[in-house]
Amino acid sequence: MKKLLPLAVLCALAGCSSLGVQPWERDVLARPEMSLDADPLDAAIDDHIYFSKEASSGGRGFGGGGCGCN
Amino acid sequence: MSSNSLQSKLAAATCALLGTAATQPASASDADAWSFDSSVLYYGESDDRVQDISAAVAAKRDFGDERSLSLSLTADTLTGASASGAIALDRVQTFTSPSGKATYSTPARDVPLDDTFHDTRFALTAAWTQPLARLYTVSAGLGFSTEYDYRHLGANLSLARDFNKRNTTLSLGLAYSQDDIDPVGGAPVPLSQMLDVGDGSNKLGSDSKTVLDLLVGFTQVLGRNTVLRVNYSYSDSSGYLNDPYKILSVVDPATGDTIARVPAAGLAGSSGVYLFESRPDARTKQSVYAEVKHAFGKPVLRGAYRFMTDDWGIDSSTLETSLRWPVGASSYIEPQLRYYTQSAADFYRASLVSSQPLPQYASADFRLGEFDATTLGVKFGHRTGGGNEWSVRAEYYQQNGSVPGEQIIGHQRNREQYPDLSAVIVQFGYKFGL
Repeated sequence: MKKLLPLAVLCALAGCSSLGVQPWERDVLARPEMSLDADPLDAAIDDHIYFSKEASSGGRGFGGGGCGCN
Repeated sequence: MSSNSLQSKLAAATCALLGTAATQPASASDADAWSFDSSVLYYGESDDRVQDISAAVAAKRDFGDERSLSLSLTADTLTGASASGAIALDRVQTFTSPSGKATYSTPARDVPLDDTFHDTRFALTAAWTQPLARLYTVSAGLGFSTEYDYRHLGANLSLARDFNKRNTTLSLGLAYSQDDIDPVGGAPVPLSQMLDVGDGSNKLGSDSKTVLDLLVGFTQVLGRNTVLRVNYSYSDSSGYLNDPYKILSVVDPATGDTIARVPAAGLAGSSGVYLFESRPDARTKQSVYAEVKHAFGKPVLRGAYRFMTDDWGIDSSTLETSLRWPVGASSYIEPQLRYYTQSAADFYRASLVSSQPLPQYASADFRLGEFDATTLGVKFGHRTGGGNEWSVRAEYYQQNGSVPGEQIIGHQRNREQYPDLSAVIVQFGYKFGL
């Protein structure tokens, strides 16, 4: 898994430069629902529920927590 | 060559358009300095287990030049019962409550639930985001939450750098939290026995834990309609990681029934031998999370996968998908599906066998067992003429677990071993600007 980091850096700096769009092609990406953080409150609520009921947490953002969660 | 010159002309035209658009907001919400996202949530488990009513509001103040302040406040009210970890029996079972001041009983053949808890939780977060230099964004946040027996204080810092005409973003985040646990009746000595009412000799005071999180994030625009995010997370917890209210039944090696116990003369107390759980005091988790969003014209499909592994022996996979489908010009409907599966922690035990030596670590907390879970939901949202949005979301959550066959002894085979859980979640949301 730790191999992912250098891979990502390499990709970001070199390989991925061929991917992507020009600034004037961002019409679809600029729609609010295309944002990767479109509904942060829903995401926070889901993270809190699943943190309380399952042994995994985080991934999308920081690990959540901050609760006793019986 | 001609396409390049066309591109530069288009770029100039776009800039010109953006320049005029900036002085004339496209809608009312673009001009709002404050934007709010609020929700009220009901979470209810079947069989009178945990019920939660929660209200949350998140506010964001835009100061221009990509500088913003985000604040959030959440209040939760929890009532109901949760599985204690003890196994079901053919007779009534009596337990000493966590406070050590009373007892509660579970009917024959029922999976024991501890119904003595109710809690109110408040959580507050604040974060500041601003550009640091061209292409760099920094964000710093603080978090605080408090409930009757738990206090959390956290801080986080992240730095992002854009590459490739902002089609690629790399980010690095660090979070640290310091939590204090002050269990009702005191934190029990791990693997000590549940005692009679009034006997607190196995209870210690409060305890604490620290959590350090590291997150490396990568987002990439894959095309005009597609964006990808991949995160690697590392989390290191140390300190008090037990659930102070979880117990294990000590059972007879032949019958599988809990060893009976008689309270001291004149005292009330537990009717069986139950030991408080014992978890390691450190845990390291790693996860990889990948998420894709793709627009098929107006509809938007989201897919996400997370793999997590930790040094307690738990591996989990989570798959999520949702499809946001426009209804008319200003509404949408979004079916959501989530599947989760995890393996058990190495020290998960349905019960402890009286003839065997005590292990160093043991827990019968069903959340550390092997189970899978499915969430099926749908969200409906509507944008008002004023640019605000209300939504309603309904979800059904179902957990199905199993206890390893070799851990099921004697009479246990005829009883429910794993308390399957189902819950209904209903959430109302309202987004507005001021």
